[in-house]
Amino acid sequence: MSVSLLVAIAGLTGVGVYMITARSLSRIILGFSLLGHAAVLALLASGGPAGTPPLANQNDPSTIANPLPQALALTAIVISFGLTLFMLALAQRQQNLTGDDLVEDDLEDIRIARMATDDDDSETEGVES
Amino acid sequence: MTVDSFAEPWILWTLLVLHVVAIPLSALGARRDHRLGLGIAAIPPLLTTIWTVILLAGSAEPFTTELLWVEGLDVGFSFRTDSIALLMTLLVSGIGTLVLTYATGYFSSSSAQMPRMTASLLAFSTSMLGLVLADSIWTVFIFWEFTSITSFVLVGHKDVDASVRDAARRALMITGAGGLSLLGGLVILGSEAGTTSLSELEPITGGRGWIAALLILGGVATKSAQVPFHVWLPGAMKAPTPVSAYLHSATMVKAGVLLLAITGPAFVDVATWKWVGLALGITSMLWGGITSLRHRDAKLILAWGTISQLGLLVTLLSVGTAKATFAAISILFAHAIFKAALFAVVGEIDIRTGTRDIRELGGLHRTMPIATAVAVVSGLSMAGVPPLLGFAAKEAAVEAALKLSGIDALIVSTSIIGGSVITVAYTTRFLLGTFGAGPDTSVAPRRPGMTIATTILGLGSIVGYIAMGAVNNIVRPAAIEIDKKAEVYLLYRWPGLTTGFMVSLGIVAAGVVVGAFILNRVDQPAPEARGADMVDSGLDRFLAWAPQPIAAIQHGSLPVYLATMVLVALTATIPFASDIDVDTLVLWDSPFQGALALAIVVAALAGAFVSSRLGAALTLGAVGLGVSGIFVVHGAPDLALTQLVVETVIVVGFVLGLGHLARSFPAAHATWKSVRMAVSTILGVGVALALAASGSNPSGTPPIEELAEAAVDEGGGANIVNVILTDLRALDTLGEVVVLAVVAIGILALANTRETEANA
Repeated sequence: MSVSLLVAIAGLTGVGVYMITARSLSRIILGFSLLGHAAVLALLASGGPAGTPPLANQNDPSTIANPLPQALALTAIVISFGLTLFMLALAQRQQNLTGDDLVEDDLEDIRIARMATDDDDSETEGVES
Repeated sequence: MTVDSFAEPWILWTLLVLHVVAIPLSALGARRDHRLGLGIAAIPPLLTTIWTVILLAGSAEPFTTELLWVEGLDVGFSFRTDSIALLMTLLVSGIGTLVLTYATGYFSSSSAQMPRMTASLLAFSTSMLGLVLADSIWTVFIFWEFTSITSFVLVGHKDVDASVRDAARRALMITGAGGLSLLGGLVILGSEAGTTSLSELEPITGGRGWIAALLILGGVATKSAQVPFHVWLPGAMKAPTPVSAYLHSATMVKAGVLLLAITGPAFVDVATWKWVGLALGITSMLWGGITSLRHRDAKLILAWGTISQLGLLVTLLSVGTAKATFAAISILFAHAIFKAALFAVVGEIDIRTGTRDIRELGGLHRTMPIATAVAVVSGLSMAGVPPLLGFAAKEAAVEAALKLSGIDALIVSTSIIGGSVITVAYTTRFLLGTFGAGPDTSVAPRRPGMTIATTILGLGSIVGYIAMGAVNNIVRPAAIEIDKKAEVYLLYRWPGLTTGFMVSLGIVAAGVVVGAFILNRVDQPAPEARGADMVDSGLDRFLAWAPQPIAAIQHGSLPVYLATMVLVALTATIPFASDIDVDTLVLWDSPFQGALALAIVVAALAGAFVSSRLGAALTLGAVGLGVSGIFVVHGAPDLALTQLVVETVIVVGFVLGLGHLARSFPAAHATWKSVRMAVSTILGVGVALALAASGSNPSGTPPIEELAEAAVDEGGGANIVNVILTDLRALDTLGEVVVLAVVAIGILALANTRETEANA
């Protein structure tokens, strides 16, 4: 396996994860894109070494690159394309609603956190009355 | 038509489905009139009772039937119709039918809660039926939990009353915890015994044996209200009486005993099973009986008596001799009949007089003759007086106790005889207190539904005695199912003047004296079990405390959740790092590949640290170009072309989408930034290592030449990748097109709402 490919995959994965853990939705989308690239390269790398293009009429089957991961990768590229565009549309929508593209804390979880800090009895009394 | 034509799996499945279908129908019926709803609910149990009687009368060949969901794990529904299952089915469905009849009288007006009550009663009946027929440990567990949940709903019927809600919650928590314990025990038992089928259990031994024994006993003790897990049962008496008669005397509390009996053969070599069982059983038998004597509420007297009787059953089953097992099954059968009758009578008294306090009740033998007769018959059956079914069963227990030897004889026999004296005592006190002398109580008119059901239940104890042969045909095979050696035993109408009979006489005499003596000498009613308060306050404290750890773990920051998830996922790759074979690695396939990889990493890093949004979008474009280049070098021109098109569209979309956003990203928290860097670095390296490890151990050579041939011969094309996509995996590609179409529709919808929202 080519170490160069592995380095590229490691770099793309690392930066991708770094970006999807950010607060800004546009960075998260960029991160997903990078993770998509990493996944496609990982498919190629696991399919075997580089070779000539898999064209049966031009190249000898013994020299061509493994075509199967390429077919899978093509699907992956298209799906991650769709995903990225959809997330862009979502970001656009959030921008219209709130004026920025920041990912907020989960509202339900904030409610639980408030329960913990509130007076202990208030919740149960609310139910009893 | 022979009986075996009824022993068909399809009939069993039909009956079960009928139960399930009737649940919503009965609720609908109850919205119109509660008697209509209860009538609908009674049909499936009635049919099941008839079916069971036919099978029992004809001694039909038992069968098993299953509907598997996960084959390798035996997960699914599986049922059996051996003797003990049929005995329990008879009780569950037979008494269920009577209780539903009784309920038509017990509930007077069609209140808003009746649809729920009706549906829950039938749902409980269904769960119980599934539980007693269950063959695989998974089926047992599922229906066991169903009974806990339906019981919760039934106990909490009067949900406006806070104490009722507390009682229901207590019952659910204790039996629910027992259910988890049971699951653990059954899983260990199943894996040790090598089967999930209860009818094929083999004895297990060793450390796992006693852990499984303790866990299963935990389930048994909570469900069958054994001390110290009994605290939920007296509280559950706040339920309407039909519920108490059905769940808390005749069926659900017997589920634990049933499980003890069925799994018992697997634990014959585990001493823990016997001794813990005995400890639970004897304590419950004595403590339940004594506490019963301290109550003035007739229903609570019976409830504590039930704890005592369940203790007797657990004791007899834990002793493990064939005779004791036989006696246990006999008492289980007799008890279900007389205790359901007694509860039904107390419910009728409650409804017609408005009180259950034995000091306020009196003269009922004049005003409520039928109820009195039923109570006296069933009470005497409970005390073990001939000529009633309870007598024959109690005789078997006394005989079994006298047959014991050694330490068993010392502890168990004494306890059983002592427990029996107490039983007679609380029965005497119950009968004298409720029906004997006292101020005349005013009584409301009789209601047919209640009278019919109580009369039939009361007659059960007499008919059972007369038709002892039929009872033997039901009880004996069930006992043999558990212990083969039980085949030599029978219930007798008249045992003759044996030692056992003499001891029984002494028990009854002593009990009557004690009961009559204590009768009205209880000034202070026994407080509600102290454990109940402990359970309640413990639960309250737990609920008050729970938000704190939850808020700490579930703090709401999505980036932290994500980082945690990927880090956990990474740990899965660690074990593979040692599989890497360095010889399979090459620096690059061609120097171009190396240069492009370097360019990609640099561009990606730049994208992460550039502060301008536009700059970040452009670096993404650069990465995409680099990846296209790698595709070209790798020999994948199709990928390279697609990637170029896709990347262009995305960069354009990005630049357009950034629209009104601030030019730079908002500043991030410094500490969090370094945590993210660490996590990302570890993950990037981890993924590369995992890939290298998987590449070091190829499972075979890629079938490239076959693919090339297939592309030309079958697909008629020379571009193998294209043929795979459009021919060999055409359906997949179609799915992909659909996904893109859905995405396009979604984007359109989101883009179109823009105007309206902005104006709003």
